[in-house]
Amino acid sequence: MNTINDRSKILKEFVPANDDDMIICRCEEITKGEIRRAVHDGMFTLTEIRRYLRTGMGLCQGQTCSKLVRGIVARELGVSPAELEPATSRAPMRPTEMRVLGKEVR
Amino acid sequence: MKRYDLIVVGAGPSGLSAAIEAAKKGMNVIVFDENAKPGGQLFKQIHKFFGSKEHKAKIRGFKIGEDLLKEAEDAGVQVVLNATVIGLYLDKEITVRIGDEIRHYKGDAIIVATGASENMVTFDGWTLPGVIGAGAAQTMMNLHGVQPGKKVLMLGSGNVGLVVSYQLMQAGCEVAALVDAAPRIGGYGVHAAKLARCGVPFYLSHTIVKAEGEDRVTGVTIAKVDQNWQTVPGSEKYFDADTICLAVGLSPMSQLLKMAGCEMEDNPKKGGQVPLCDKYGETSVKGIFVAGDVSGIEEASSAMIEGRMAGTAAACELGFMNEKERDEKLAALEEALESLRQGMFGPENKGKLLKKTDEGCDISMNLLENGYLGEEEVKQYPGVTKTIGIHPVMECTQNIPCNPCQDACPKNCIKIGENITSLPAVDPDAQCIGCGMCVAACSGQAIFLVNEQFEKDYASVTLPYEFLPLPEKGAEGKALDRSGNEVCRAEVVEIKTSKAFDHTNLLTIKVPVDMAMKARFFRAS
Amino acid sequence: MRIEEHPILGRTEKGKEVSFFYDGKPVTGFEGEPIAAALKAAGVMVHRHTKKYGKPRGIFCAIGRCTDCVMVVDGRPNVRTCVTPLKEGMRVQTQYGISAEKTKMKG
Repeated sequence: MNTINDRSKILKEFVPANDDDMIICRCEEITKGEIRRAVHDGMFTLTEIRRYLRTGMGLCQGQTCSKLVRGIVARELGVSPAELEPATSRAPMRPTEMRVLGKEVR
Repeated sequence: MKRYDLIVVGAGPSGLSAAIEAAKKGMNVIVFDENAKPGGQLFKQIHKFFGSKEHKAKIRGFKIGEDLLKEAEDAGVQVVLNATVIGLYLDKEITVRIGDEIRHYKGDAIIVATGASENMVTFDGWTLPGVIGAGAAQTMMNLHGVQPGKKVLMLGSGNVGLVVSYQLMQAGCEVAALVDAAPRIGGYGVHAAKLARCGVPFYLSHTIVKAEGEDRVTGVTIAKVDQNWQTVPGSEKYFDADTICLAVGLSPMSQLLKMAGCEMEDNPKKGGQVPLCDKYGETSVKGIFVAGDVSGIEEASSAMIEGRMAGTAAACELGFMNEKERDEKLAALEEALESLRQGMFGPENKGKLLKKTDEGCDISMNLLENGYLGEEEVKQYPGVTKTIGIHPVMECTQNIPCNPCQDACPKNCIKIGENITSLPAVDPDAQCIGCGMCVAACSGQAIFLVNEQFEKDYASVTLPYEFLPLPEKGAEGKALDRSGNEVCRAEVVEIKTSKAFDHTNLLTIKVPVDMAMKARFFRAS
Repeated sequence: MRIEEHPILGRTEKGKEVSFFYDGKPVTGFEGEPIAAALKAAGVMVHRHTKKYGKPRGIFCAIGRCTDCVMVVDGRPNVRTCVTPLKEGMRVQTQYGISAEKTKMKG
């Protein structure tokens, strides 16, 4: 379970930064600013961020950005990245078309 | 649903090694790999490996891969390629995508050897075509025979960044610079020295500010970083480049284990999220093992040993091997693994700044900051001696686990001793015959043969050369010093190639005698 | 951009030379090599333009992980060109968003 999920936590005010336009999730084209904003909107866990913004839900399934997103969220929350539980892992681990998923061989 | 004694996920060095050990004990083993070819990253490793004989030192990675595949085939290991394991469940059931179907398999034991994925850094323009991972560069040039670019800037001075930079030059690309935000080079000094003497500039405490270009990279701007990792205004430098290569570390690809319910930890020393496991790789879920980078980032040599350990442990757990045999086997493997983890780059010393070698020599700060040894510094190491006639000069200055030079010399001139991380020393009583076996055997290309009495007023320097075109005997050019600066005219007086040298050619150049301890590379004019 | 002879690897073994179509233009490559390798050798850098911002992307990981190099191959979008073997006559097209047609792009 996430240890960083204290909803009473009060964050410092959101301050725009120069690199807010930087693309972090390359597949879904989510920027650093959007991720930082999401934290201030109350998305404290990586699973929430993923659901809210679709970071790591594109074609590559978070292969490239998950560590970057974790770092940004941690900094915004003022915690160490290691304290943030990675987003839930579930099948399929690689992007798989529905027609393939539906074709199970027993 | 098909059932196997052992299912291995990943046909890289650790996965294949695990499968081999299990299959040798009569287990019914199947290996799944999502790639079209087995061997993981081994076939992209064209450099000679470090370690000792038992670790296959001085053998090139792809050759080790070929041998491993042969061993797997002989042991009766079944490898299924283009087979992506998309699910791993607590009850040791897996789902695999093969072609356009999902298939279920059950294993009495499962070894996850999924390896690692590359870390990334962001900067302005990092999504432009031309910004690639170091792994991508290796894949393109060493597997597919295509240059990743003409002029490349490398970010990251760990062993991956250093080794890939050298491979880029071997592929005929130009390396514009090697940049790292850290204040000191992260990888082996010998790897850095190979680049520096070819003229590659190192920019430590620098980072990429921007990849320039509209629809592809046309240049890079870097800048100095201060202690707080902030860029220093006014310190920007621009390089023409069509490719930026990122080598900023690896993370264990451990998602399958988390999914299966294995207890996980975040361990920065291991590179990130890893499953908790015992020393033979068994996770908190009985019967699910891990081996290789997925259990903590190291390199291929240790991954192969870990694989063999996990395969052995699994074989015993399922009753294919008695405990006595297992313990003997594991003890030997453990010893081999321990010896690889020694020295100044071992896990214990990770992140520490050591000032002295085990021998009490100062560690060269020039090497750590600029990639090459200072001319005065080099004299203090036990491999650097002066004598009449031809003799080896071993510019090996860090305690790393490697000893092929010791075995290479037919005259026993080179002594390392019991501890494979010790610096090589020259035996003053043994007589060097100038055969060059040590020069070719040194995986770090740090050994040179020097003869200060080659001709009146002239010395000869024999150096390892792994580039094309190979200069011809009689070719004129410039000798470069350790920093890549041209220091004098030089003439190639001999070229030796031999099967025993395994593509490391020995180039002997003639230089003025006062250049004998300066000239370390040759550039034809 | 192809490495004719490598100091360690010698000459790369290649399949037979085949021709394929890149955005309608005939290009040659070697059978069985990744589409991306053939394109790289032909000097192609931009594989697609992204859906949201229309930004150019090309090869990034080259091992099928990052999916940045996807293109429309024989009419199918999102094909990872770095791990898809080249075949004679393949139609490889720059991908705009998830289509081969520029007009389907937003903005």
